[in-house]
Amino acid sequence: MSNNLYSFKEEYDKQGILLSFYGSFSQELLVEIGDTLKNRMKIEALNSAKMTRVFAMFIEQVQNIIHYSAEKISNEDLNSGSLSNGIVVVGYKNDYYYVVCGNKIKKKDIEKLTDKLTVLHNMDKAELKSFYKEQRKKEPVTKGAGLGFIELARKSAKPIDFDFQSIDEQFSFFSLKTYI
Amino acid sequence: MDSWKTEATKYTPEIYFDARTNILGIKGESYPENITEFSSPLFSWLENHLENLKEQTFTVNIELVYFNSSSSKMLLDLFDLLEEEVHDNDKNIIVNWIYDEENDAAQEYGEEFQEDLNYLPFNLVKKAE
Repeated sequence: MSNNLYSFKEEYDKQGILLSFYGSFSQELLVEIGDTLKNRMKIEALNSAKMTRVFAMFIEQVQNIIHYSAEKISNEDLNSGSLSNGIVVVGYKNDYYYVVCGNKIKKKDIEKLTDKLTVLHNMDKAELKSFYKEQRKKEPVTKGAGLGFIELARKSAKPIDFDFQSIDEQFSFFSLKTYI
Repeated sequence: MDSWKTEATKYTPEIYFDARTNILGIKGESYPENITEFSSPLFSWLENHLENLKEQTFTVNIELVYFNSSSSKMLLDLFDLLEEEVHDNDKNIIVNWIYDEENDAAQEYGEEFQEDLNYLPFNLVKKAE
């Protein structure tokens, strides 16, 4: 692996990756990476409206991993809460910032997710806005991912991309990309 | 009722109540992992406060730089509760949605809440430089 790490970096640079994280996520880690991301954008003098959007996408997408990754580890004896595995990548390429996140999901959830995201994919901004308001009224206060996806679709400068890669009989890898 | 204050954390806003002016303030960023854990003490306090509210105007100042989608749902519930008090119980309540000129997202969110409210006075207030 150490031999390959430089080629890894080269590939990262080619993709315009500003930061990426693979492993166990927690709320605390999300906050720290989010802070660093903000600082980086400030240093690069990104305008604040765009900065807020990139930050918002990042938070919403990582919280999706935290809530919905099918790859969670916890130890009840330690009482330290659970950790969710996933990947997040923030980059800049072809005039757009992008945030990609991915995590394992159960295969049986693919259909439901595809339906949800396809509906959003085909809506224009005005439709997304009224759908957002409608769902916000309906949805009980939970983890709020139904709303999270609509939020992502609304903020994304291009329709959000999503993909499923089969891992084994039970699981697939779900990834989602937004543009700013 | 006494004044109180909850300090902000990195992902929850500062919340304070000034008993003298009857102002509730929510200020900062809001993206906790579990929104109900964060908001239920606030809602319990609010319900009690609204019940005891007489003619005096109750002002809610909200100045949020960023909030996640579950916080947005929490805000809607807050405004629904306040709107109900205005409409059903003739309470005097004002919400000021305070935003920075450069934060167009915060302004848009404020406008969208405003669009859906019919009875609750909801002011969009651009922050002075």
